Amino acid sequence: MLDFMFFVFAALAVLGAIVLFAHPSIVHGAFALVAALTGVAGLYWTLGADFLGAAQLLLYVGGVTVLLLFAVMLTTRDVQRIQLGRYVLGSVMVGLLGMFLLQAYQGVLAVMGPADALPDPQPTTAGLGAAFLDRTQYLLPFEAVSVLLLVVLVGAVTVARRSKQGGA
Amino acid sequence: VIAPALMVAPAAAQAAQAAAQTGVSGSLSSYLAVSGVLFLLGVATILVRRNALYVLMGVELILNAANLNFVAFARFGDHGLDGQMFALFVVILAAAEAAIALAIVLRIFHDFGTIDITRTDSLRD
Repeated sequence: MLDFMFFVFAALAVLGAIVLFAHPSIVHGAFALVAALTGVAGLYWTLGADFLGAAQLLLYVGGVTVLLLFAVMLTTRDVQRIQLGRYVLGSVMVGLLGMFLLQAYQGVLAVMGPADALPDPQPTTAGLGAAFLDRTQYLLPFEAVSVLLLVVLVGAVTVARRSKQGGA
Repeated sequence: VIAPALMVAPAAAQAAQAAAQTGVSGSLSSYLAVSGVLFLLGVATILVRRNALYVLMGVELILNAANLNFVAFARFGDHGLDGQMFALFVVILAAAEAAIALAIVLRIFHDFGTIDITRTDSLRD
């Protein structure tokens, strides 16, 4: 059952990414990105990461892509064809990277050794919360990220503001 | 336009096969294959498109591929919740990055009248 769900979500993620890459319309691309991110959230669930999957849905699918769609509709006027030169460059680079990645994965899998029988996934939310607020684990990064989010909030408003005059 | 994707697919299949040979249970390698395909498609999107928003979406794909690796290794390598913690921080930082980057994109559009990354070549008025 879990294997079947893996294939469903993996197909969703990969097909979404392919459409994002290949479709000429950026609005279609943005919606394909929604599908891809949803697929990744599903893959988190098949890996037993329940809280992370939910956070992915809320933050990425609900938040980031809505922002992206707003930006798309505010800025992009027309469909852009891919130039041949860039296309060739992209293909070559991706081919090289793919070969490198394959080597790296083979090395890693050789080191990992045979997997034992895995325990059933347990709920993770309580453990994550405890780790976030544990002084010996992730409390400092957690507080730093809180400050960062405040800075981002103010910074985004400052940068995106229309008027150039008016001081500050 | 599909050709790079077709180039990637055999690579993924090969990775899964290699994993089967080394004796690791097939699952980790299949997650790695999905993550690798997402990563390569993200890179391809960034390299091929000229619209700044495509670059952003490609970055999101790459971050998700990395996150998938974190979670998969945490699950199959018996590392507890650390992999998920890293992935959570990446998600938070990606949201922050997207907010700032989109503000900058709007600003660039306002100043240049386009978000073509080959035509925005100055940082001041």
